[in-house]
Amino acid sequence: MNAKNRGLLDRGMRCSVSAGGVGVILLVCAILVFLIAEAVPLALPARVGETSIQSIPGGLGVALRVDEHRTFAAGITPSGVLRVVRLEDGGVELEHDFFSKSTPLSAGGLRVLPGAPDEAFVAATNDGRALLAQLDWPVRFEGSTRVVTPQLGRVSLFVLDPSGGALGALAVRSDEGRTTAVSARQDGSLIHHVESVEENPFSGERTQSSERRLLSSRGRTLTHLVLDPDQRILYGASVGGELLWWDLQSSGRDPAEVVESTGSPVSALALLTGGRALAVGREDGGVAIWFRTQPTEFAHRLAPVRKLPHQAAPIVRLAPAQRDRKFLAYDANGYASIYFSTSNRLLWQGRAPLDAVAAAIAPKGDAIVFAGTDRVAEVLLEAPHPEAGFASYFQRVWYEGFEAPGHIWQSSGGSDDFESKLGLVPLISGTLKGAFYSLLFAVPLGLLGAMYTSQFMHPRLQRIVKPTIETMASLPSVVLGFIAGLWLAPRLEANFTGFLALILWLPAAVTCAGLIWTRFPRSLRNALPDGAEVGWFGLFLFAGLWASFASGPLLAGYLFDGNFQDWIYAATNTRYDQRNAVVVGIAMGFAVIPIIFSIAEDAFSNVPRNLVAGSLALGANRWETVIRVILPTASPAVFSAVMIGLGRAVGETMIVLMAAGNTPITDWNVLNGFRTLAANIAVEIPEAPHGATLYRTLFLTAVLLFGLTFFINTAAEVVRQSLRKRYARL
Amino acid sequence: MTVARRRFMGEMMSWFTASSVALLLLLIVGLLGLIAWNGVAHFWPRGLIEFELTDGSRLAGELHESNDGAFGSGARMRIKTGNRDFTGSDFRWIPESEIALRENPKDLFLMERAEWGVFIGRITGLQKDGQPLARSPEEIGDTLPALLASKRAERERVEDFERRQIGDVNVAIEALRLRERALARADLPGDQKKQRLAVIEEELSVQIAHYEELAGALDRMRRALAAETLVIENVEGREKVIPAADVIRVLKPNEMGWRERFGVFASRGIEFLTDEPRESNTEGGVFPAIFGTVMMVLLMSVAVTPFGIIAAVYLREYAKEDFVVQLVRIAVNNLAGVPSIVFGVFGLGFFVYLMGGNIDRLFYSDALPSPTFGTGGILWGSLTLALLTVPVVIVATEEGLAAVPRAVREGSRALGATQFETLWRIVLPAAGPGILTGLVLAIGRAAGEVAPLMIVGVVKLAPSLPVDHHFPFVHLERKFMHLGFHIFDVGFQSPNVEAAKPLVFATALLLVGLVLLMNLTGIITRERLRRRYRTSAV
Repeated sequence: MNAKNRGLLDRGMRCSVSAGGVGVILLVCAILVFLIAEAVPLALPARVGETSIQSIPGGLGVALRVDEHRTFAAGITPSGVLRVVRLEDGGVELEHDFFSKSTPLSAGGLRVLPGAPDEAFVAATNDGRALLAQLDWPVRFEGSTRVVTPQLGRVSLFVLDPSGGALGALAVRSDEGRTTAVSARQDGSLIHHVESVEENPFSGERTQSSERRLLSSRGRTLTHLVLDPDQRILYGASVGGELLWWDLQSSGRDPAEVVESTGSPVSALALLTGGRALAVGREDGGVAIWFRTQPTEFAHRLAPVRKLPHQAAPIVRLAPAQRDRKFLAYDANGYASIYFSTSNRLLWQGRAPLDAVAAAIAPKGDAIVFAGTDRVAEVLLEAPHPEAGFASYFQRVWYEGFEAPGHIWQSSGGSDDFESKLGLVPLISGTLKGAFYSLLFAVPLGLLGAMYTSQFMHPRLQRIVKPTIETMASLPSVVLGFIAGLWLAPRLEANFTGFLALILWLPAAVTCAGLIWTRFPRSLRNALPDGAEVGWFGLFLFAGLWASFASGPLLAGYLFDGNFQDWIYAATNTRYDQRNAVVVGIAMGFAVIPIIFSIAEDAFSNVPRNLVAGSLALGANRWETVIRVILPTASPAVFSAVMIGLGRAVGETMIVLMAAGNTPITDWNVLNGFRTLAANIAVEIPEAPHGATLYRTLFLTAVLLFGLTFFINTAAEVVRQSLRKRYARL
Repeated sequence: MTVARRRFMGEMMSWFTASSVALLLLLIVGLLGLIAWNGVAHFWPRGLIEFELTDGSRLAGELHESNDGAFGSGARMRIKTGNRDFTGSDFRWIPESEIALRENPKDLFLMERAEWGVFIGRITGLQKDGQPLARSPEEIGDTLPALLASKRAERERVEDFERRQIGDVNVAIEALRLRERALARADLPGDQKKQRLAVIEEELSVQIAHYEELAGALDRMRRALAAETLVIENVEGREKVIPAADVIRVLKPNEMGWRERFGVFASRGIEFLTDEPRESNTEGGVFPAIFGTVMMVLLMSVAVTPFGIIAAVYLREYAKEDFVVQLVRIAVNNLAGVPSIVFGVFGLGFFVYLMGGNIDRLFYSDALPSPTFGTGGILWGSLTLALLTVPVVIVATEEGLAAVPRAVREGSRALGATQFETLWRIVLPAAGPGILTGLVLAIGRAAGEVAPLMIVGVVKLAPSLPVDHHFPFVHLERKFMHLGFHIFDVGFQSPNVEAAKPLVFATALLLVGLVLLMNLTGIITRERLRRRYRTSAV
């Protein structure tokens, strides 16, 4: 090779090697950037896409339904005509007049309810009749093209008020065999009407029965009524702005409760998916969520759970989404807002593209549909992660069915209308709890051990002991977790008193061993290498361990009436989990000890010898030298050792996964299990669909873990660097 | 304070530090001893005990644990009774107070079976197609070993047939189906498409006919395999007929001497290392897990070595001590401290979904929506672990490079070699042991790591190894089994944890042995290097 080529090669290699070096920084950055990029969409607000407007002569009325694939929009006009139009071009697909022939509509027309449940339309006539019309959207495939055909399902038109007066506020719900309708009358009473069809399972014979009774509203004039999906709880709002509710199956107070409202009159009322959360919109633009809670065993209360961001004008319509806790609020100024109840978020707000009389969120949550008097508009909506948000991750959230706000992690549930609970606080506290208890075990043992090994042990023994302990850092954590979860945990449960007895027995064993050791003739002690006493103490410790566990049952008999678990439950009402923080503390402590030991040992043995010699020459004994000279000099390394140990404990996965029971609860009780961020990722990410909120939330927790360990390790490293400089000066 | 008192206080404190070291060593020895003892005990044939209880019932089994009654529940024993098909569980606690009679009959058998686990009892008959082959116990004892050996060979032939012949046809059919789908999607003139589809259809029908033929043959072989049956009976006289081919091993532990027991111990050990798992991993061997672990670690080494070496060479040989180098060091340090599960999450998002998803769209679009690389696999697992272990290799290589004396470098440069030539011819060869140490330590770390792999490709039971005789022979997209995950899965997610625990101890022993061996090798070479560095740094 000639000189020129050699030079070229040299320069080329210099460039590529440097690129490789810088690549390491880029790699770390890339990991962090990638993790963050996956989590960022959680924080983005909802976006609206293109708007398409079609004109529809005659309009759709105030109730609006859209099918799952956004092919059609449907509504009932005040003249009693059901109209289904194509969203694509506004063409009419289906028209049906309910009142053409047999049952003509009296003057004044039909009052259609804007907020009716599911796929049904509800309307009231002027002469005391109620109309319930089900609309179905069967889907079939022709080849690979999807065809949706709107179909009018069950229609029932029944007399609700026999006196023939106009119906006031009205609520109707219907399922398989039962229809419940409740309507307010002019005189303040309510008519409760139930129609049920029972089918004899053998003969197939159907018997129809109906029942009607009056409910009282205690003199309130009701403006809105809503029934829950079980047709059991009826909610109402009065002109005065009060909220009322009735339990239709109980014969108790009637109504069960009237909540005095300080706010302005209720102008819209709707139940969100799941049937528990009541969204209330008011004249003054306020939007709030209320639930029934159960403060005592027999009493229910309707409680204001959360206030959502306020609007400037009266809320005219509330339209809940069908699949999650999203809902749309439309105000008198023509502004629409999309809220998410659980996360207390206003996802999007904007002006409706037309003067709407009706608004709805499409079933998949991918569009908002507005209907005006003669036009319909579809606005594409993209709100992929409404459940996320600072409030739902880190603040107390009052979930449906709970008595008080809390930090809860429960990412998935059995039913479709499950409200996912993404509180990260239990996981963070679990992470810190695990790390705390393991450091409680590891720090004293690791530091004291390092001190002895570095200062008092003969180098020959040191050369065996040090690598032995350090090698333990590489012990697979899955093995430690297995031993902790399946060997240690059951034994500890069977003999917890024995474990408690260690507090007594181990110091006793050490003192005993020490006292005997000092009685040995000096000649014998001097003949042994420094550090041989470890074996002596080991012998006594072993005896102490044995004595503790052997005396456990006896002590349990004296102190805890035979069984520690029963005793502690009776005394403090704490349940003993088999897989608890003690088990994890020991196992994870064991994993952390080698790290703390190794760093501390290095620092202690690198303390400049002249300092030690000076101290000894001035008459301090070896222990005083350790405490007064070595420990202060090496204290930054002690800090850094503990920090790095903490970093390892925070990120450890398998031990916690196998030995901590994985219950996401927030408490610091050492006898309970817990779940850490790392274990949570391992448990949940295999089930999390790519790109879903849970998946991104788990990425967020990974970023948290990365950030936490990054901070801890950098702090430890900076401290160590300063120590190195200090040693160099001494 | 008097001098004596000061000295006494000092003494006392040093006792506690000494005790800490003692406790640490005790814990280490205790833990390793626990794993080793239980892991080895799994293979050792224990004696069988037959009990008669006070209520008149009888049972037999191996004694696994006895409790002296200190826990207030009375003295009791845990007996492995086996016979899961009769009793539903493998273990039983019996209180010592209920034992009326206890004996060690010599004629009691322990039988390991392919299904239902261990059987403990007696063999009362040997039949072929319902006709007895042997009658008296002596006759059975004489014919049994030869029969079992021949059935075992036959079973292996059948399994081999199933895996090879039928597996080949399945692969061929699968390939044809994929071609068919690709063609259906392809942009071709109608008649040309039809013509080609017809060709594929024809090939497909040939293959399917072949498959059916083979399946018929397999069915005949299976029936022949099940022709010989054993009549077995538990100690209470309950009988069951099982195919002789289902028997893996039969022994009479109470009759065996030390040498024979050791033979069984060795053969069980070999089975553990070389056989496939049975009964959803709770019995049999862990060969696929060993294979998966080793292959994953090798792939990881291939990925991590160049990257780690280049970064270390940059830090030691090329970079000047400036801000960038400090940043790189901080980056490396942090990389070493990032929790392994975070690497798993990154691997899932980046390798599996982003890279794998794109590879699938580009090269395996015919198989979509079922993913090829877009799901966890051995390649992604090893790349994820390569990221995890890069700092280990960097640090060790740096040490190795630092151990090469300056004088050698300067000598080389003085003789006119360029920096790269010096590096390539002089420094890197001299740093070889250091690099190797790093690699060994990285392998030790990777072999024990489970959490990230659980996310990016390890499975409980992989249907096939990542290497086989089908083109392209090495299947990097396949999911794999891993020793560490085997421990987690069998210990915590299997339906019969109690029965599987001894096996998990054996796996744990294997894994700990492997990892500690790797690390000790690494640490010892590193110590040697350090010493050489001390003496050679002039």
